[in-house]
Amino acid sequence: MGGYGDVQMIDENGLRMDGRKPGDVRPITIETGVVPVADGSCRMIWGTNEVIVAVYGPMEAHPRKIQRQDRAVLDVAYNMAPFSTTDRIRPGFNRRSREISKVTADALESVVLLELYPRSKIRIGIEIVSAEAGTRCVGLTAASVALADAGIPMTDLVVSVASGKINDVVVCDLNKEEDNYGEADLPMGVLPNTGELVFLQMDGDLSPDEFKQAWDYNMDAAMEVHKLMVEALKGGGN
Amino acid sequence: MSVPLVPKLLRAHLADLALNDSRLDDRGQWDGRDTKLETGILARAEGSAKVTMGDTIVLAGVKFQIMTPYPDRPNQGGLMCSCEVRPIAGRHWEAGPPSPQSIELGRVVDRGIRESGCIDVDELCIIPGEKAWQVILDLHAISDDGNLFDAFALAGIAALRDATIPAERFEIGEDTPLKVSKTPIMCSYHKVGGRFVYDASYREELGGDERIHITLGDDDHVHSLQKGLKGIFTAEEFDEIMEHAKARCAELREIVNG
Repeated sequence: MGGYGDVQMIDENGLRMDGRKPGDVRPITIETGVVPVADGSCRMIWGTNEVIVAVYGPMEAHPRKIQRQDRAVLDVAYNMAPFSTTDRIRPGFNRRSREISKVTADALESVVLLELYPRSKIRIGIEIVSAEAGTRCVGLTAASVALADAGIPMTDLVVSVASGKINDVVVCDLNKEEDNYGEADLPMGVLPNTGELVFLQMDGDLSPDEFKQAWDYNMDAAMEVHKLMVEALKGGGN
Repeated sequence: MSVPLVPKLLRAHLADLALNDSRLDDRGQWDGRDTKLETGILARAEGSAKVTMGDTIVLAGVKFQIMTPYPDRPNQGGLMCSCEVRPIAGRHWEAGPPSPQSIELGRVVDRGIRESGCIDVDELCIIPGEKAWQVILDLHAISDDGNLFDAFALAGIAALRDATIPAERFEIGEDTPLKVSKTPIMCSYHKVGGRFVYDASYREELGGDERIHITLGDDDHVHSLQKGLKGIFTAEEFDEIMEHAKARCAELREIVNG
C-alpha cells in the first residue's frame, strides 16, 4: 500500500472519484459460453477489469505423478495478458501470478466435489485481458462461474470482493487509483449460501473498527454480486 | 502442446470427405468460416482487435515502450511481435515455456507484418541514437478451433491500424495515431485428405498433413511464406493456392480497411 495521504480520493459529499458511495461496487457484467472449445467458460467485466476464464475437464491427469488416487486435482493458471496494464507485462514466469494461481486453486478446491473424479484433472485458465484493480477477486469469481458453466459439481459458488481504506475512509471494491494510493486492501472469497470464507488476504493498516467495516462491506457486496452470477448462469450463455 | 492422438478413423474420414469434395462442416475446399473483426476493444491497450473465425477467437493488443536505437540503426525504432497460446485456448495447449508451435506462429505472423513495410521504423525515432518508440504487438489466443495463423495475422494488422502512440503519457508531445501504410494479409492452407483446403478447423489440422502460409500485401506483393509440418507438395498445387490467396486476401483487406 502506498499510503500517499496527499492524494484526495473522497470529496466533501463523501463520494469517490468515480462517483460511488463508500459501500458501492463497480458495474459488473457476466457472460458464459465465451470460449466455444472449452467445457465451460465465463467473461466477467468488473469496472474496467475484463477477465476470461475457460474450464477443461475433468480429463486425464498427466504426468501421472500429479494424479491423486482419491480425488481430482485442480490446475489453475492465472495470467495477465501483456497488454492488460498501462505498462506492458513481459510474458513468462512471474512470482505474483504463481501465488495468485495457488490461492485461487486453494479456494476452489474447498468447494469443488473433487472426490467424484479420482485420478483426473480439471484445468482452469484465468486470463486477465484488461486490468484495473482487484483482478485476483474477479478471476476467482469468474472461475467459479466457469466451473458451474462446465457442469462441475460444487457445494457453492465463490464470490470474491476486496474492500480497503482511502484517505482514512473504508470503501468497498477499490478501483485503480484507490488501490495505488490507498492505505489497506482486504480481499475475501465468500460462499454466498453460508457466509463462510475460502479465500482471505490483507495488506496495509486497518484499526479493529475499520477491519469490521471492510469485512461487512465485502459480505454485503458478495451477496449482491452472487445474484448477478446466478442470473448469468440461468439466463443462457451456451 | 501435448501430442494428441491422431485417430486413424479421423484421417480415413477426412480422406472420404475429400473424395466427395466435402469437409467436416460441409464447407467447400476454398471456403473460409464466417470472419468477424472488432477493434478498440481492450481498455488498457493502445490499439486492439478481436477476430472471430468460426469457433476460433483471438485478441491482439499493441503497447509502446521507449527503446535505445541499435547502434547500427540510430534513426530507427522497433517493431516486435510476440505470440502466446495459453492453456485457456484449448485442451491441447499446455502451460509452460513457449512451445515450438507457438514460437513458429509468432514469427510467421511477425515476418508478414514486418516485411510488408507497413510500419515505417524511421518515423518511430524520437532522438537519433538516444530514444525511439518500440511498437509491441502481442497476440493472445482465446479459443483454438484451428487456423490461429490467419486469425492472429488479421487481428495483428487491425490492432496496429487501431493504435495511438501514447506520447502524452511519456511526456514527449501529443498522442498521434500510429502510421500504418499497408495492409498485409495472411491466408493458410492445410493438406487434408490428400488435397489442400483453406482455413482448416482444429480437427482438420489434427488429421491433416503439411500446411502453407502466404502473406500478401497491397497489389498482391508476397511478403512471407512458410511451409510447416511433414509433407510434399507440387508446384501446381502451390499455383492453385496462390491464385486463391490473391482473391481471399483482397476480401479480408476490405474488412480491415473498411
